[in-house]
Amino acid sequence: MKRGSIWAWLWFILGLIYFFLPLYATFDFSLRLKRGVLSFAAYENVFSDERFINGFTFSLQMSFWTIVVCLLLIVPTAYWVHLRLPRVRPVVELITLMPFVIPAVVLTFGLIQVYAKAYTFFGTSLPSVLSLDLFTLPGLINLRDAVAARAPITLAFPIVLIAAYTVLSFPYMYRAVDTGLRAMDVRTLTEAAQSLGADTPKILWYVIFPNLRAALLSGAFLTIAIVVGEFTFASLLVWPALGPYIQLIGANRAYEPAALSVISFAITWATLGLLQFFTPEQQGQIAGAR
Amino acid sequence: MSKSLIFKLSSLVVIVAMLGACATPAPTEAPKPTAAPAQPTAAPKPTDAPKPTEAPKASAMDQLIEAAKKEGELNVIALPRDWANYGELLDGFKKKYGLKINEINPDAGSADELQAIVANKDNKGPQAPDVIDVGFAFGPEAKDKKLIQAYKVSTWASIPENLKDAEGFWYGDYYGVMSFQVNKDLVKNIPQDWSDLLKPEYKGQVALAGDPRKSSQAISAVHAATLGNGGKLDDAMAGLDFFAKLNKAGNFVPVIGKAGTLAKGETPIVLRWDYLALGDRDSLKGNPPVEVVIPKSGVFGGVYVQAISAYAPHPNAAKLWMEYLYSDEGQILWLKGYTHPIRYNDLAARKVIPADLAAKLPPAELYAKAVFPNLKQLADAKAIITDNDKGWNKVVGADVK
Amino acid sequence: MTQTDSTGTPPAPSKTSSSLWAWLGLVPFFLFAIAFLFLPSLSIFINSFQDNNGSFTFKNIIDLSEPFIINAYWNSISISVITAIGGGIFGFFLAYAVTLGGMPKFARPFLTTFSGVASNFAGVPLAFAFISTLGRTGMVTVLFRDVFGINIYQAGFNLYSFWGLSLVYLYFQFPLMVLIMTPALDGLRREWREAAENLGANSFQYWRYVAMPIILPSLLGSMILLFGNSFGAYATAYSLTGGGAINLVTIVIGAQISGDVLNNQGLGYALALGMVVIMSLSLIGYSWLQRRTERWIR
Repeated sequence: MKRGSIWAWLWFILGLIYFFLPLYATFDFSLRLKRGVLSFAAYENVFSDERFINGFTFSLQMSFWTIVVCLLLIVPTAYWVHLRLPRVRPVVELITLMPFVIPAVVLTFGLIQVYAKAYTFFGTSLPSVLSLDLFTLPGLINLRDAVAARAPITLAFPIVLIAAYTVLSFPYMYRAVDTGLRAMDVRTLTEAAQSLGADTPKILWYVIFPNLRAALLSGAFLTIAIVVGEFTFASLLVWPALGPYIQLIGANRAYEPAALSVISFAITWATLGLLQFFTPEQQGQIAGAR
Repeated sequence: MSKSLIFKLSSLVVIVAMLGACATPAPTEAPKPTAAPAQPTAAPKPTDAPKPTEAPKASAMDQLIEAAKKEGELNVIALPRDWANYGELLDGFKKKYGLKINEINPDAGSADELQAIVANKDNKGPQAPDVIDVGFAFGPEAKDKKLIQAYKVSTWASIPENLKDAEGFWYGDYYGVMSFQVNKDLVKNIPQDWSDLLKPEYKGQVALAGDPRKSSQAISAVHAATLGNGGKLDDAMAGLDFFAKLNKAGNFVPVIGKAGTLAKGETPIVLRWDYLALGDRDSLKGNPPVEVVIPKSGVFGGVYVQAISAYAPHPNAAKLWMEYLYSDEGQILWLKGYTHPIRYNDLAARKVIPADLAAKLPPAELYAKAVFPNLKQLADAKAIITDNDKGWNKVVGADVK
Repeated sequence: MTQTDSTGTPPAPSKTSSSLWAWLGLVPFFLFAIAFLFLPSLSIFINSFQDNNGSFTFKNIIDLSEPFIINAYWNSISISVITAIGGGIFGFFLAYAVTLGGMPKFARPFLTTFSGVASNFAGVPLAFAFISTLGRTGMVTVLFRDVFGINIYQAGFNLYSFWGLSLVYLYFQFPLMVLIMTPALDGLRREWREAAENLGANSFQYWRYVAMPIILPSLLGSMILLFGNSFGAYATAYSLTGGGAINLVTIVIGAQISGDVLNNQGLGYALALGMVVIMSLSLIGYSWLQRRTERWIR
């Protein structure tokens, strides 16, 4: 099929230029903090900025919780739809496609409307010893300090934000898990497990989850990529994530945002590259904030 | 086999990274109950003379400090670190009283701040602002909407009468004049006046420093343009018309102008408060070189006001913050940020302003020419500019390409 | 293997109880969807028909006809159509190049991987990348100025305008197209081309009568998806303008959320409702075309 080769090469090269030129320009721009000299000063500024560390950490934690919630919701659902309730499949798929119909801005609008009051439940200062301060994963670690300081503890757990992120990653997780389920013979495995006396939770935990490892991992990586780069929810719901930080830096600094873009790109490359490594049959996925 | 091993290793790495990330932000800003020095007043002592306006009853102040420390945190909003030297003020407050400060949305405009109070009425978490710093016209609006609570700082008497609410709901904090902030690398011929901005050589170069529907700075710039368009401060339509002309000529660029955009060249000319422009000039350190021009024919003065949210999660911390800001120490830090702090006259009279800082301020003659709109003019201007049907949205916004 | 013998017959789960388990198992998912998807959407729907007192009114919908709002919708729709078509065509040719264009073997996985990355690069970092490239002090701008002596900004180009934004949007539009069209183009079997040639068709006729009709639903469907993708975009435009003074529907809604700029809550809801309606229509269009595609391309 050598016909049209010139055309093909032309488009390919054009595509490559359009892809790579902005990346190269960004990298070049990020090295020019010091007038007339190429240096990594912008990167140093970024990495030593406390807000960057906090933003990145916060986003990573958000992605962790999102993955957990999403898996807990999606895997059993996909399993049962696959196994027992195929009629429900169109409904479930439609739900997972909702993030495309309801853009992030609109969903935020609705979420705030419904849950603004709910902050009284989720965000009230509880004069008690229970602490779920976000930045300490097992809340108990902070418990000691809190009791010692005898300060009121705020339950500022970003439930709505995590819910929003979960909704955002529904399509990709569901597709990954669904593909994974299709690849294994769910029915036979389930029946085999049942014949050995396993009940459903055991089946899910010992049979389904392990076989879905690759799919779950790919979904997880994609979620990380999405959540870390996300901007709209974090900005409008006012949480100190990485996205709003980058935007803020962009408004106030000239060279650091270019450095941040390069870093952001590197992170995306890393996560999606790992995804490709573990699931080579997946031909790339589209995800993320717009 | 090796793939499985790599798989296990990378999963392990991911999990460890997550946990590590979770564990690292050790609360370095945790309140230190024993570290704060006990001080009856919040003022440094450049002179030894007793200051009748500066000495609240020692016990009341101590009680306030105690109560604030119990709350442990302060939520501030819309305070960029390089706005009027807020960086030093925030750090100074943290150091002095050991409280943690949550900086909400430093990019927010005045309308955003009011909206944040509204949206977080029942929320006691870190998204609900305790204190706000808004444009002059937004003070009465906040009071009308019952979003703020009254508090008179100990130095209340030395705040000029016409720059505060009689009942203590809001109070001026600092002022400056509208200027042109110019990137000298990209603009060879520096505009000196409002009419210069309309010249074709500045195509696509003139920007506002905020969204004119939300940001007091941007609204003030539009209002200020009335002076440049031969109008009176009573009628902001002249200012809107000026921007319509600017937009039609293609000189207006719909990017929000900040230090970063100025340096990158997206907004080579920004309409900005002089103190901010000067602050940016310093922080950019000559890359690029910045010139701050106060327009010849229309010097527009603007005041900002402080207020405490009626729904503040930490009311005592908020009050302590106010005491700090209105103390001599706080006011002089604001002066360091090139503003005229509200108690300027009082500070000058008592000769507590360091000479070198006073020298850095813009020349007094320019300030003598400055016109400060009164509350009614400001309210009218704000109403017109933000009006959906007749204001920015209609006159300019609809055509912004 | 004594379990099966221990208590007699192995506990075969009855049909009803396992169905019950299944339905129960779906409950968390549906509860979540109701709580965080349907309730917010419903609230927008209801609120857009309410005025400040809570009574039913069409006023908000009518207010949508304000010139400012119409302009916002027009801008959003225009940019979405332009980038859908532009990105669609560009993406299609790229996809064609690596599937049927006789490129070396590595080209395709390279392109699809990179498309995956590029489409996730959207939003905040993308805006800064383009500013670094085509901004007033961007690399390409400076290149043109220093090497070719052309000042593109004086010549009328402006990254911070409608057309500039379109250019930026294309960066995540055509990777999306590539990712959708490469598997679709796989469905164009070689045998069909050979059969057509056997019957004497030339390249143009092959495309006009055989390939296009098969590929067209997929092509159109993807373009519709691109349209929706661009219509709902917020972060990119917001970051490009440093805070969003450009007149797009998403930006106006965002400004409304953070600062009551419309001075009319109901109008904000009506705006959001309008967006949802347009997006739903595009998704329906896409699904319909997808089903037509599946007829030929399994």
